[in-house]
Amino acid sequence: MIYIFLLIIILMAIVLLQQSSFIKNRNKNYQKRLVEDSLKHIYDCEHKKIDSTSLSLSGSLSLSKEKTTKLIQSMLQKHLIKTSGNKLSLTDEGKNYALQVIRIHRLWEKFLAENTSVQEYDWHKIAEIEEHKTSIENANKIAAQLGNPFVDPHGDPIPNEKGELIFQETVSLNEVKENNFVKVEHIEDEPKEIYQRIFGYGIFVGSILLVKKKSDEKIFLELNGKEISLSIVEADNINVSYVTDFISEDVIPLTSLNIDESGIISFISNGIRGQQRRRLLDFGILPNTEITARMKSINNDPTAYEVRGTLIALRKNQSDLIFIKKKEV
Amino acid sequence: MENREKIIEIANKYRWEIGENIHDAILESIYSSASNITSKVVNKIGEKSKFNWDKWIDKIVTGKLTGFPIMFVMLAIVFWITISGANYPSKFLSWILIDNIHPYLKSLALSLSFPNWIVGLSIDGAYLATAWVVSVMLPPMAIFFPLFTLLEDFGYLPRVAFNMDFLYKKVGAHGKQALTMTMGFGCNAAGVVATRIIDSPRERLLAIITNNFSLCNGRWPTQILIATIFIGGAVPNYLAGIASSAAVVFIALLGVTFSLIVSYFLSNTVLKGEASSFALELPPYRPPRILQTIYTSLIDRTLIVLWRAIVFAAPAGIVIWLVSNITINNISLAEYFINWTNPFGFFIGLNGVILLAYIIAIPANEIVIPTVLMLTVLTNKLSGYGSGAGVMFELDSIQQTEYLLRAGGWTLLTGVNLMLFSLLHNPCSTTIYSIYKETRSLKWTMISTLLPILMGFTICFLVATFWRAL
Repeated sequence: MIYIFLLIIILMAIVLLQQSSFIKNRNKNYQKRLVEDSLKHIYDCEHKKIDSTSLSLSGSLSLSKEKTTKLIQSMLQKHLIKTSGNKLSLTDEGKNYALQVIRIHRLWEKFLAENTSVQEYDWHKIAEIEEHKTSIENANKIAAQLGNPFVDPHGDPIPNEKGELIFQETVSLNEVKENNFVKVEHIEDEPKEIYQRIFGYGIFVGSILLVKKKSDEKIFLELNGKEISLSIVEADNINVSYVTDFISEDVIPLTSLNIDESGIISFISNGIRGQQRRRLLDFGILPNTEITARMKSINNDPTAYEVRGTLIALRKNQSDLIFIKKKEV
Repeated sequence: MENREKIIEIANKYRWEIGENIHDAILESIYSSASNITSKVVNKIGEKSKFNWDKWIDKIVTGKLTGFPIMFVMLAIVFWITISGANYPSKFLSWILIDNIHPYLKSLALSLSFPNWIVGLSIDGAYLATAWVVSVMLPPMAIFFPLFTLLEDFGYLPRVAFNMDFLYKKVGAHGKQALTMTMGFGCNAAGVVATRIIDSPRERLLAIITNNFSLCNGRWPTQILIATIFIGGAVPNYLAGIASSAAVVFIALLGVTFSLIVSYFLSNTVLKGEASSFALELPPYRPPRILQTIYTSLIDRTLIVLWRAIVFAAPAGIVIWLVSNITINNISLAEYFINWTNPFGFFIGLNGVILLAYIIAIPANEIVIPTVLMLTVLTNKLSGYGSGAGVMFELDSIQQTEYLLRAGGWTLLTGVNLMLFSLLHNPCSTTIYSIYKETRSLKWTMISTLLPILMGFTICFLVATFWRAL
């Protein structure tokens, strides 16, 4: 009897010990996440040339005032940040740390875009979690696998191993004058609702837009031969660069070809990426290739196209993103 | 060292200038120079008329009105040839291997005065199970696979995938899954191997996991036998034939439905983020190379699958013999297990014999019924059937089988639930092994194994509960 009693006590002790080490571990990870998120916030403010304060930090982390103060204290002790008056700024060490976290975040987004079929609007969420868990060695492995990319799928530059990064000169879409061709260089991925709406229009990093008309609330654009209008808020989340050597063509999506009509592929939208894109390229579905619609399956999807003498069936969601010039018969 | 840094710096500068779409540009230039070369050196004569011939066939086999009827007729023909054609070689093999060689080996071993347990273990156990698997598995596979490969070689199967894609798109799968599923009607292990034709990783996993929902060759005879005895027996005589075949078709269609539902469920949950791409080549039609096709499909599909089955069958035969012959207090291990699992078996409308049979007959669904019969005789102490504990057998007439099963306590509910459980249980060991080989992942192998059996338990339980409540 006593023996069983002892056994139960020992078991309980083991469970308790394990639990406490588990909580400790979680607590440690939580602290790491807080530090990393604050460094990112301060870096972001410095980049945007706005002041970061303990108030803005507590707002961005949704943390109570006392906890934020404690957090700032601990970061000061670790020489990650310095204060001048109210303003927080990063030390060199802190900046390096922040860039390292940003690097992992953007590498993850790139990885998700290229190697998985995780939806656009979920990339950020997953990267937010993984950035705190991924070691630098693993980040380097991901980078090597992706061919050391320079920009993430939103158009943000990815810092290299040393924390160096190249910024591109871009302007907000709202600043572009009418009748100019621009190339989308960056789409802000927060807030998620707006980001979701932007790619709902079919705008991706790399898309060419023609700014047609601007009003106080809306901006009217031409994208791939189609007219769309964006609200000012949406346009504000898009950064672009001017393109001068772009020749406007009347392009239509491949989907709009009728049976036995032909076209010349103009370009494949950047909405087709990763494995899907490589697959299409392998089939020889490339710019300047002639393509003919041959037959449609039930529900008109998929459609079989003749390319270079072979029949290849594509689903509508893909052929919507391939743009062609129609060939006149 | 300095040089190295410099080179990397220059490389990075160029990469930045060239931009992200370098792969597209390189491929485009490769293709354009390749087509330049071919246009210079290749003469195209008579190409046009051949293509029109293709277009004509395409119009018929993918036509909105003609596509599906042709598909069903083709499949029906393939199955009819397989089932009716396999009958004779199967009987022949079984006559040689089981009716003649088995008794001969046994009497030979006894005349050489080997101990009884060695004879039982090796001849009644290992040899008999292997012989059984070979004689029932080989002929249908040797007919079905070449036929299927011929259709593939001719160019018809990609058109089936093209026709069926609308259905599979809805559940997040690839149209080619229709083909691997059909292949699964022949043999799940071969169906799993055939998923290699799906180039997108996510859709391929879906096809692998759901292949077990295709009623395979080893399960058709079970379905037909049980349907004839229990479903056919439950309706007036003149309806017996129709009712029992309708029941079997219903089970097969239920399997197809489950494969779609499970695909939908998986592609929206666990497999959500896996990489996915769709593109389906529709190669030109060509006259099939008959001899070559028969040869390669025999080597690549039939023999590989058969070999895997044999590797598992021999040890399973030994286990079958052992559990029925090792006794404690004059009660065999099999009976202990059966008595112990009977309450659970009853709970889901089956019985302990069936549960044990599905465990020890894991190498092939073909030997489930012989094992069930042997275990029924063993546990109910029936005399005059079979040839002893641990020796599988089949009866010549359906009436005798029915008598035996009813003596074992089977009811209409047991029959119905066995049909359901035969559809929804873990894949045979050959298939499990093939799944592991193809996915190289313990996780997906476990999921493909456990998911159907959990579904089977649930559905059998629901059916049994409602049945008893009514």
